[in-house]
Amino acid sequence: MDAKDILGLSKTSHPASQEKKSRTVKESQRKPDGISREVYALIGGVPPLMPAVEPLQLKKRPPTDEKITWQWLPFTSSARKDNLQLFHWVRVVNGVPPMGDYSFAKYNKSVDVVKYTDEEYEKHLTDDMWTKEETDQLFELCQQFDLRFIVIADRFPSSRTVEELKERYYKVSRSILIARAAASPGDVSEHPIVKEPYKFTQERDRKRALSMVLSQTKHQERKDSEVLAEAKRIAESRMAARNAKESELPITFNVERAIVPGETLSPSSNSEFPSAMVAPSTSMAENTSTLASLRMLRVYLRTYALDQMIQAASSSAGLRTIKRVEQSLQELGVNLKPRVPTKSVCAQHLELRKEILTLLNLQKQLQYKEAEGSSYRDSPYETPGTPKDRTFVPESTSFGGERVGKRDQKRKAPGRAEAPSSPAQPKRPRKLRASDM
Amino acid sequence: MNNSSSSTMHGPDQPEISGPAPAPKSLRTKMGKPEDSEKKIFHKKLKDVEISVPIVYGNIAFWLGKKANEYQSHKWTVYVRGATNEDLGVVIKRAVFQLHSSFNNPTRVVESPPFELSECGWGEFEIAITLFFHSDVCDKPLNLFHHLKLYPADESGPMSTKKPVVVESYDEIVFPEPSEAFLARVQNQPAVVVPRLPAGVALPPPVPVEDPSNRKRGDTKDHPLCQWFTNFSEADELLRLATARQQVQTHIAKFRREITLIEGQHQQVNSVSDQ
Repeated sequence: MDAKDILGLSKTSHPASQEKKSRTVKESQRKPDGISREVYALIGGVPPLMPAVEPLQLKKRPPTDEKITWQWLPFTSSARKDNLQLFHWVRVVNGVPPMGDYSFAKYNKSVDVVKYTDEEYEKHLTDDMWTKEETDQLFELCQQFDLRFIVIADRFPSSRTVEELKERYYKVSRSILIARAAASPGDVSEHPIVKEPYKFTQERDRKRALSMVLSQTKHQERKDSEVLAEAKRIAESRMAARNAKESELPITFNVERAIVPGETLSPSSNSEFPSAMVAPSTSMAENTSTLASLRMLRVYLRTYALDQMIQAASSSAGLRTIKRVEQSLQELGVNLKPRVPTKSVCAQHLELRKEILTLLNLQKQLQYKEAEGSSYRDSPYETPGTPKDRTFVPESTSFGGERVGKRDQKRKAPGRAEAPSSPAQPKRPRKLRASDM
Repeated sequence: MNNSSSSTMHGPDQPEISGPAPAPKSLRTKMGKPEDSEKKIFHKKLKDVEISVPIVYGNIAFWLGKKANEYQSHKWTVYVRGATNEDLGVVIKRAVFQLHSSFNNPTRVVESPPFELSECGWGEFEIAITLFFHSDVCDKPLNLFHHLKLYPADESGPMSTKKPVVVESYDEIVFPEPSEAFLARVQNQPAVVVPRLPAGVALPPPVPVEDPSNRKRGDTKDHPLCQWFTNFSEADELLRLATARQQVQTHIAKFRREITLIEGQHQQVNSVSDQ
């Protein structure tokens, strides 16, 4: 409505009747009694669905036909031994006071502290550390204070630690119980004191440890948690390693099979296996460890074996070197994966790969040497020789074999006095190209 | 295999020399103990001998031509056969082919040679082949994987119902430590390559095999599809490898010469500059 006024729009027809309607509607909305308009609007502006509890109902009193009076009456408690009579208010219903014991008497629990006679003491309970008087005192205090040893220790005439008192008490109780059980029929072994004897040293250490933990500084706490986390991690990694080892090692110790081969197998395999896990440094070690792991398998495919050997042989080489080896293989016209992987073919293939690796290493070495050579000479290095000499003309068949003659001529002999034409080394060693030969 | 020189390799006959240190042979092959029970001998394993079984596995697929419909356009056979078409049943007990899950009963078990499976379909997928061996051979199965190929590599050519698409792979199953029983049994079997036994090793005579004519033929020499089988020969690869190695060795020698030359030069320069 206001918006329309602002906009200057004409009001719709029957504005009068509308206003009346709105007014009546508003009237009905202003209806609530008891709560203000705003609050009424807050709860939805409509009467609540549930009838509210009438405040009048809240303080209803029970419709009693009984007559209740309160009387000041004396009482006794079974918990007391002295028959002291005290007074208190009692709710009397129809003139009848309540029966029964004092309602709090049932809470008067106490511990059954063992009571020994002097004979029993002589027979079972003598101890070097404890005199009879002390023991008697101890037991009296135990009885008095319901085995609250902290209090007992405090009250004890001579200074004894809580653990010592406890030990003495429990030892005595145990001995008495056992002795009495031996005398009269009865099984005491289920009694808690007999079943679980008190351990003095254990308790002492436990309490000491507890107090240490309690008094730890925050710094110490942090350190401890770090160490624990580290230990957990190490344990888990060890478990994982052990599991991996176990899953790789097939169970050769089959009971049905003869034990003898198994025995001769296990020492050699156990010694070789750890080497298989750790990266071996020499190629010989790699070879033998791969062989050992293959032998563990009991059956495998030749291609799988070849892959393993190749991996072992190139474990020291980077990814780029491996790619260069593969490229060289392709240039030489050899399949990366032999098409007919017989034993000899695989062996030759492996040897070829190793030789290519050697070749690449030598080439790198040569380049370094040549670079050194140029640094020895003080003359400024010449521009690299015409790259045309070394450009690569890809030929799938010949590995530069037929061009050997030509290349030798064009290539600068290494013995010449001028700096060889490769001092400006590109950061990456050049790929092995057919025309390099 | 220990030494990297190639002179030790003579072909599949060479028994594999194993282990890092040459352990005394008496420890390895506990032979000739007459007091041992026969059973025990048969379960012993020989360590210097490896048995290999050359196999070829793959598929042959025929286009069905007119009879093809949307869901069955090709009839294909996936198989594992001996490389020389000999009977693999002496070694393999059964083969399990795991097909694509859209096939009915995708796990197909073949209990006797020839180990093959034929089906009709339209799709290419990877088939997992699990080979189970006889109990005296090996108690662990071996897995192979073959990608089923139905459509020819070059899509230009028309598909013919007469000429199938053939994809085969050669491989060898190697048993590095065969039991003596196994060795004895397959000594004279053509499907298995048994190396020359090292000196001093004597095998008990092979257990007499049942009359071969009674059993169903398990070899694939006269297989209906044998005309499409590829003949895998190692000669060509060996030749190429030998040539390649020769070349690489020459270059290695050359590099080595050059390096020593340069080192000689450096030394000269050094001695000159010291003065």
